[in-house]
Amino acid sequence: MRWATVAWLSAVLCLVGSRPAVAQPVQGLSFRPFVMASFQQFSAQDTFDAAFGGTTESFFGGGLNITQDDTVYLELTASRFKKTGELAFYNNGDVFRLGIPMTVTITPFELTAGYRFHRRQRRLPSSNTRATVPSRFIPYVGGGFGLYRYEQTSEFATDDENIDTRHAGVILEGGVEIRLHQWIGLGVDLRYNYVPGILGEGGISQLADENDLGGIAARVKLVVGR
Amino acid sequence: MGRIRAVLSVAAALLAIATLALRAQTIAPNTGEFTVRLGVGLPAVDQGALNDESHAPQTAQTIKRLAMHEQLHRERTGATGIPYASGRLLVKFRESASSGARADAIAAASGTAALTARPSFADFDVLSLDPNEDAEAAALRLSQRPEVEYAQPAYRVRPHFVPNDPYYHSSATFSPGQWNLPLINLESAWDIQPQAGSTITVAVLDTGLAYTNATITKNLPAFRDDNGVLYPALGTVTIPYSAASQIVTAGRIVAQHDFIWDNDQPLDFDGHGTHVSGTIGQLTNDGLFTAGVAFNVKLMPVKVIDSFWDDLFGAPNIATDAVVARGIRYAADNGANIINMSLGREGPPNTAPAVEDAIRYAVGRGAFIAISSGNEFEAGNPREIFAEIASRVQGAVTVAAVDRNATSGDHHCRGTAGSPACHAYYSSSGSYVELAAPGGSERGFGRDGLVWQQTFNFEFTDTFLLPPSQYHAPRFDVHAIVGYVGTSMAAPHVSGVAAMVMQQGITDPAAIEAALEKFAIDLGAVGRDDLYGYGLVDARATLRGLGMAR
Repeated sequence: MRWATVAWLSAVLCLVGSRPAVAQPVQGLSFRPFVMASFQQFSAQDTFDAAFGGTTESFFGGGLNITQDDTVYLELTASRFKKTGELAFYNNGDVFRLGIPMTVTITPFELTAGYRFHRRQRRLPSSNTRATVPSRFIPYVGGGFGLYRYEQTSEFATDDENIDTRHAGVILEGGVEIRLHQWIGLGVDLRYNYVPGILGEGGISQLADENDLGGIAARVKLVVGR
Repeated sequence: MGRIRAVLSVAAALLAIATLALRAQTIAPNTGEFTVRLGVGLPAVDQGALNDESHAPQTAQTIKRLAMHEQLHRERTGATGIPYASGRLLVKFRESASSGARADAIAAASGTAALTARPSFADFDVLSLDPNEDAEAAALRLSQRPEVEYAQPAYRVRPHFVPNDPYYHSSATFSPGQWNLPLINLESAWDIQPQAGSTITVAVLDTGLAYTNATITKNLPAFRDDNGVLYPALGTVTIPYSAASQIVTAGRIVAQHDFIWDNDQPLDFDGHGTHVSGTIGQLTNDGLFTAGVAFNVKLMPVKVIDSFWDDLFGAPNIATDAVVARGIRYAADNGANIINMSLGREGPPNTAPAVEDAIRYAVGRGAFIAISSGNEFEAGNPREIFAEIASRVQGAVTVAAVDRNATSGDHHCRGTAGSPACHAYYSSSGSYVELAAPGGSERGFGRDGLVWQQTFNFEFTDTFLLPPSQYHAPRFDVHAIVGYVGTSMAAPHVSGVAAMVMQQGITDPAAIEAALEKFAIDLGAVGRDDLYGYGLVDARATLRGLGMAR
């Protein structure tokens, strides 16, 4: 997982350092696939800290971003987090890790919609004509919902003790797309998602009184398309 | 000349008869050296299982044995009705009190009281008193002085166990009946932790442990039983003593100590401590006899309970609050991770400050403590004071007993036709009960309802229960698998599980208690109740802990 992160960052740096492109609003529908990585700070901090020894974890995935006249967008994302930690016990804020492997897989399927902000047309200097000023940076905001699959398996567990469940959540997002090339863009955004119904019903999360599987994620996506 | 010789002969004969008669009516003082040669002796004779069902609180043998034991003591009861050792009381002065003020307080409380040298592993002092003085009243006067933090009599402490019937011998076969271990889900717990507590030290505060081979020499005095029947002096006898082969291995016994004899030789002359130690850690998976819970723990026998033989051998101390408090502190100071206390006494709240201080001290040093709830349910169910203390200390738990009706399913033992109660008939109940574990019961189950571990074959140790004509010296080198019943048997189940839990990673005593209670199998009424506390301890669930969402 670590080498993948390095590869991502290297690719992003190369692209950022390349010759800037001009963002020209695209008329009509545009289908733009992307790959993404996100680094999520989970709201259930005690729970994740107990299981994994930390509260920030990585998701990797991809999706499809569809724009209409380069202003409104609809985005479908599938990603995945998988990590092996330990079963633990939580008592009055103290965590005791028990050395028994536990693997958690979180697979979000998310659908968001939003608006992309382009600079308005303005009068060009030394003339009376109005024109769209091209920009590399296209801010956007949006929101949506997701379906989150949560799987938990552990050593010595019976079937009843393993979990494979799903629950819906909501998403708010905002960020900026940087046009690196006519066909390539780099999206950087912050996402907040709230996913009740999975945590808090049992386990450490219940003892820690934490019921949100979501959190705040910093996301980087590499978009292919205009 | 012949008449004179005849008269002298008759006079000599009369004198001899009179001397013998007089000797028969009196008991010589218990003097003579008590010699223990450690390591000198043969391995034990292991005799397999005894077919005995009399390790129960209300059997005639139990009552007789306790009565015989108590016959050797000078005990008194005061206004509270709780037995205490006469001739002494415990006092803790405030640090700010000068020695002069302390002396004044002592003099004001009792004309006969005198400060003795502070015993080891004690944060209190012991005052000697006239044995006929009411120690409770003196303690009350002393406790009202501003220089005094607390004062209390040396209340007598007894193990929560049930002695054997020495006259009922088993057949050679042992029907394996360790129903108690699978009941608390130990098999799957051993899967999780095959090391079974190998890094943990469990202190067993009890009657000692058959931890070594030894040869004992003692001039045994005469004594009277509880009915006044005289048992003859046996003269100097040599008593063989052997280590329990199913409990003691090289390097396993650590920092042993004896507060009854004030030495480092906590030889068990009763069998209770050895049986309790067996439940905690009897060797397992070796193809021999029975299993123990945490079968790789290190054991620290700390003898704080005297037996009949200790008393007849002339032990200087008997089991009191002072001895127990010192034992707890000793265990904590010498690296015990878990302390098992299958013992207790009744009493109103706040009448055991020395023991409470010691319990808090030990938990503060990282030791988890399991205390049996008592065997007096059918005897008025009096409040057990040590158990009550444990319920107020996070990191110490009170353990009640269940019988073989218990199952590993939640919400059983409701006391209905389809869910019969599993509360052991003797197990003391109350708001202080926190957990339940197998203590066994012979009622309705016979020998299959007992808790079986290795200890002495009581046929060879409890010779004082024979008629005087058959009475002979004991021998402690014949061992057997013996069934016991009592909350004394329940507490070591919890201690063993706690040892495994600590090794698994829950190192804080309060967290161990929280885990044991959270994962307990709820019995009886839903939630905590006075019979079963939070329920039956579940070794597997506690060891396994929790995932994020389940």
